[in-house]
This record gives sequence, C-alpha cells and structure tokens, in this order.
Amino acid sequence: MNDLSQHVSSPQKLQLEIAQLIIDTLNLEDIAAADIPADQPLFGAGLGLDSVDALELALALQKRYEIRIASDSKDARQHFSTIASLAAFVQAQRTACVA
Amino acid sequence: MTGTQTKERHWALHKERGSFLLMKFTAFAVRVLGRRALAPVLYLIVLYFFVSGRSARRNVRQYQHRLAHWSGRNELRPHLRSVFGQFMAFAESLLDRLDVWRGKLRLEQVQLVDPGGIRAQLLQSRHGGRGQILIGTHLGNLDVCRAMAELGEQVPLNVLVHNRHVEHFNRLLDEAGDRGLRLIQVSELDTAMMMDLSQRIERGEWLAIAGDRVPLHGGRHAMVNFLGHPAAFPQGPWLLAGLLRCPVNLMCCLKIEGRYRIYLEPFIDAPAWERGQRDAAIKAWMQRYADRLAQQCLQAPQQWFNFYPYWQTIEASDAH
Repeated sequence: MNDLSQHVSSPQKLQLEIAQLIIDTLNLEDIAAADIPADQPLFGAGLGLDSVDALELALALQKRYEIRIASDSKDARQHFSTIASLAAFVQAQRTACVA
Repeated sequence: MTGTQTKERHWALHKERGSFLLMKFTAFAVRVLGRRALAPVLYLIVLYFFVSGRSARRNVRQYQHRLAHWSGRNELRPHLRSVFGQFMAFAESLLDRLDVWRGKLRLEQVQLVDPGGIRAQLLQSRHGGRGQILIGTHLGNLDVCRAMAELGEQVPLNVLVHNRHVEHFNRLLDEAGDRGLRLIQVSELDTAMMMDLSQRIERGEWLAIAGDRVPLHGGRHAMVNFLGHPAAFPQGPWLLAGLLRCPVNLMCCLKIEGRYRIYLEPFIDAPAWERGQRDAAIKAWMQRYADRLAQQCLQAPQQWFNFYPYWQTIEASDAH
C-alpha cells in the first residue's frame, strides 16, 4: 500500500486508496476497494457507516495523510459523505499543506 | 421505573448546589479556622445536608441495601448511622481534596498498590512511549489524579470532564495555586476532539476519565448490571479507548484506616472491536468494569460518593 501512497497522481488512484483505507480501518470484510462506488454514500443507507466509524476514519485519514479535520461542522460532514468527496478533501488539504 | 417516581434530578444539578457550595464554604473555613477546629462545624454542615437531603438519603440507603444484598454481607445493611456515615465520609473527602490540592497531602503519605507496574509505564511515557487511559471512579477520592500527576513526574495528565464545572474547579485550583493538571471539557466526541486526544496519546500524554457517571443530557450510555440491578454506565471512556487503541487501566483511591491508598490495575491491553460487534464489545468491557467496581465498593463501602439515584433509567430521548 505504501508505494501507492507516495505519488498519487490521478483522482481515481486516491479514491481507490481511500476506499482501501476505509476497508482496513473499519475491518470491512468481503469487500474490495474497487467494489465501493466513489459516489456511494458512506453513511446511512449506503455503506452503512455510523458516527463512530466516522471518528475512526478521521483518525486514520489524519495519520495517513497528515491532514487536519477541523471539527464536526457541516463542511466536515460534507467531506465524509462519499469516497469521491473525501478524496477531493484530502487532495485539497494536501495542496494547502504543501503551499 | 421513570414515570411513577418524582422527577429525579441529575447528579450534575445536585452537585451544583451541594458539593460545590459545601466545598467552597469548607475551603474558606479551613483557611480561616484550620482543619481541626473545623471538625465540629463540618459535623453540623453534614448534619444539615443529611437532614435536608431527603432524596440523597434515600439514594444512599438504596446503594447500601443493594451492596449488602449483592454481597450477602448483612452487616452492610443500611441504618441511620451507616447512612450518615456515608455523608460524613464525603465531607471528609472534601477536606482531604482541599489538602491534596493545596499540596498538604504528600505523596509519601499515600500508599500505592500497583501490582501491574502502571507507574513504571507512566514514567516510560516520558521517553517516547505512547500514553494510556486511566479510568477513575466516584468511589473514593477522585482527586487522586493530582497525586497521579505527581507520580508521573513530568508526564502530562489530562483529566476529561463532562460539564461546566471545569470552571468551578479551575477557579478552585487557581486559588490553590495549582496549574499542574489539565482539565479538558469533553461534552461530545467530535473529530476535532478525537484528533486532539489522539495527538496527546502519541505524544505520551495520559488521559484520565471517570467511568461511573453518565453525563448530563444522557450521552452515550448502556445499561449494565451493577450490584444486582441495571444501571446506566457511560460508553464514552471505552469508545475513546477503542478509537485511540491505547491500553486502559483502572485507578481508585480509597481511604483505608485513615490513609489513602491508590489502586492501579491494568484493565484492557489492546482495546479493539470486530466489525459490527462494537456495541457488544463495549458492553462487555462495561459489565466487567461494573463488576470490578462492585468488588471495590466492598473495600470501602461508605466511600461511594454518588448521591444521586444511581439506578434510574435515562430517558429514551437522551439516548443516542
């Protein structure tokens, strides 16, 4: 996994990576990263994650990408809605960090 | 169980009136009169709270009754003296707390019972180790945290508290000239708070949190068996442990034969849950904790300082 995380170029790659991170962090068995559509809701009816999963995920994301997630604001909830939105958020945060 | 009884007030509200006022008054009186001279006055104050606090009396009776029944120890059955004794024990602990915070209760006077070597781990955190969680209780003197901070020498100890009493206590601490501990107000676990706590653990800081009280407005909780009857215990500490993946230890400070004794014991090495089994895993830890707490109650039956209706059910609307 580590070689993947070093140089992520395309959004798809990052999305796949985040899907894998979700699977690893939350021990989602019987699911492959490619099986989770990037626009599927992570919470509620979609992947069925809950608020504690979100906390766990936030910690994992922070560790992996060294990003900061400010608080439980509406924004944060938006970022966590799908894999695509998470990937966009991580990308934006990284750019912000580097800049 | 809820509807028929008179509306019970939550412990946080009790505390607002009782313990804080009492504590503030005693703090003042101790300063002016000295502790020994205060003893008869204290006796009167406690008598006042004892006589006027009908529901607190009833709650203490209920606790003593259940402890006696659960343990099969008849001598623990409640009577007027034993109920009053519990009030007195509380008053005494308030005085002791003031001593602790004013640095009058020296570390050497406190006995440490630490068969699991937790203090050694605490000290290791200074040299790059991860922090851990300490679960405290309102059985005995919770301000043992102060002593723990000293035990840990330079290891920062963050005490997580639920409510606005932080200000009250910080004020008292300031008055006492103590700025060694950090009190962190945690009303709800949000991502920002989790990240902050996670970073503290990685830095080798320790977290202390009470395991025997459900916060105001319900909070996350579950019912477990305590002294033979279902009682609401908080899920927060265990959730925190699982999310931060750090070891959990129990701490308890009881006054035995006039001396404080700090008990430290490892409780969970590596908290984790299987997918879909989170609630069950947490509940299992909570039940094990409640069982352990019940055992500890037998060591100092009158030092149970929860004077609110401990076995009340929490309104469904408050549940998460």
